[in-house]
Amino acid sequence: MAQNKFNRRDFIKLSAVGVAVAAGAKFLTKEVKASEGAKGEHQWVMVIDQSKCTGCNQCQMACNANNDINPDMNWTKVLNVGEMNGKQVYLPRPCMQCEHAPCVEVCPVGASYYRDDGIVMMDYDKCIGCRYCMVACPYDARSFNWEKFEGENPYVPQYGEPEVERRPRGVPEKCSFCYQRIDRGMELGLVPGEDPAATPACVVACPTGARIFGDLNDPNSRVSQVLRENPSYRLRENLGTNPRVYYLPVDENAIVEG
Amino acid sequence: MKTILKTIRENIFTPWGLWLAFLGIFLLAALIAGITVFWKGLVITNLTDLVPWGLWITIDLSSIAVAAGAFSLCAIVYLFGFKRYEPLARTATFIGFTGYSMAMMALLLDIGRPERFWKSFVFWNTHSLLWEVTMCVGLYFTVLLLEVMPIVASFEWLRTKFPKIAEKMEHMHHYAPVLAIFGLALSSLHQSSLGAVYGVIKARPIWYRPEMSVMFMFTAILGGVALTLLVSMLAARLTPKAKVNDMLIERAAQVLGYMMIAYLYWRFWDWLAQTYTYEPGRTEGFELLTKGPLSFNFWFGEMIFGALIPTIILLKRSLRQTPLWRMLAFAMIVGGVVAFRFDTNIVGFLAVIPYTPGEMVVQYTSYTPSLVEWTAGLGIIAFGLLAFSIGVKYLRVVDHRLVSEEHEVVTVNIGEAVTGD
Repeated sequence: MAQNKFNRRDFIKLSAVGVAVAAGAKFLTKEVKASEGAKGEHQWVMVIDQSKCTGCNQCQMACNANNDINPDMNWTKVLNVGEMNGKQVYLPRPCMQCEHAPCVEVCPVGASYYRDDGIVMMDYDKCIGCRYCMVACPYDARSFNWEKFEGENPYVPQYGEPEVERRPRGVPEKCSFCYQRIDRGMELGLVPGEDPAATPACVVACPTGARIFGDLNDPNSRVSQVLRENPSYRLRENLGTNPRVYYLPVDENAIVEG
Repeated sequence: MKTILKTIRENIFTPWGLWLAFLGIFLLAALIAGITVFWKGLVITNLTDLVPWGLWITIDLSSIAVAAGAFSLCAIVYLFGFKRYEPLARTATFIGFTGYSMAMMALLLDIGRPERFWKSFVFWNTHSLLWEVTMCVGLYFTVLLLEVMPIVASFEWLRTKFPKIAEKMEHMHHYAPVLAIFGLALSSLHQSSLGAVYGVIKARPIWYRPEMSVMFMFTAILGGVALTLLVSMLAARLTPKAKVNDMLIERAAQVLGYMMIAYLYWRFWDWLAQTYTYEPGRTEGFELLTKGPLSFNFWFGEMIFGALIPTIILLKRSLRQTPLWRMLAFAMIVGGVVAFRFDTNIVGFLAVIPYTPGEMVVQYTSYTPSLVEWTAGLGIIAFGLLAFSIGVKYLRVVDHRLVSEEHEVVTVNIGEAVTGD
């Protein structure tokens, strides 16, 4: 061993250097704190009143137009969940924007992340397309771009104009609470949830007013009032994801934990 | 050009030539399939939003699992001091390197944006198990690269053309114990984390259990050692280039048999705990395995042929001493591990857990790999076979007569920190 120019001691030194380089790289790369959650001034939530939803799908069409989504996909989906007292009951399902979002926790590159206002965002440039987020999502809220969406969007212009860029092939996409409308609206001094231009497209499009949007941190916002005065539930609450989408059930007795 | 054609014409009808031609067909088909996938995108697979991980993930997980012989045997030889198994460690290291190369090919095909794979090393979400797996696999591949160097150094052509380089590569062997420590640490981390990738998903009750990580680790060691022993014996029967010490393999086979008992014990309690009470999603998923479309895989692939029968063969002396029975047992263990990986992955998707309130009716979906998935997948396996065949023929990967240069074995006294020195 003694005559070796590069002995084991050197090797260990080299390994130590390697570890140091890796540690240095860690400081240079921007690490995502997955479990910290949002502590911003505004906390956006959506309330969906199932008594008012007629299953007309206007929300989904407006969403597809404004976010320029492939018509084969939906960010918000309206499910028919059965009948109550002779009336069809629907369950519209956008992304739940969970406080403890499994998709954010599992993403290896931090392409899914929390905004300060609680919106769970996708960085489509960072995403490598591994689909672990889709595996982890308990609400089936993500759709994958198995192919590039080319050609015309059948919902444009009747239901709205595209406000965001189309996603590339090979990444999953999901509802963002129309962050682009919130951000632009707030810049103009509008109040999301009150001014249509600053409110998610699905909320604006709903003809019966079944969707309500607003800031849960503001006790006077409509969402705060509605949630104070009415019983509500959230989907699969037993998982502890703490969704930011609340449902007002058709009948008080219909509250069942998912 | 003419001489190449002549060489091909002269050699194609030898067993080696035919074997290469056979693998070549699969490789060529896979090359076309791979190019098509990169060109057209994943839309040509049968993967869906409900089943986003399919055959390729199984190949990826299985290649990594059966590559685990490398770290297990290197640890046994260089850390625990069972020097007599050193020739097996050489074989296992080469299989390991091949297996991880296969896994990376499968992953590159599978991710939606293959041109951005490097981002997984640059952007870190340390909370993600897949991040940890990516890092460990990347680092362990480097370790394997260093470990495989002395083996590549035995290539005749390299030895005559570049003796200095060959000597340097050969020299890497001195660090085998240190590399074994890194290998053991990194493999223990990511082999089990691969199970945890599934085990932490709360949304899918059939996966959500702590023993997933331990089972992935344990089955990887079983499958990895079994594959190393199997291909060693197979190579020795097919070519004079490979020489094995049958006593050595038989002794290892018996140890493997006892480990299979531990595995069966583990699976039994895992099974009992999962089936004892009704749990929405988990019970339905389990029924898919025991009675549904996966029942053949489960009962025959994983249980009867994958675990029970090989255990009996390996523990019954007369059967174990018959080379053919022993090889069969190894093959069945490897098959069992692959079936376990396939079933585990797919069962979590096939039972779709509802999120609608009050409705606990579990729905079902299905998945059959498309032609392009099979073609590319088989090509990756063909690559593995090709790499190993070349290793046997030119690199003496299976040669139990080889006595490598003496080097120290790390001795660890209790209470003493492990250093490589």
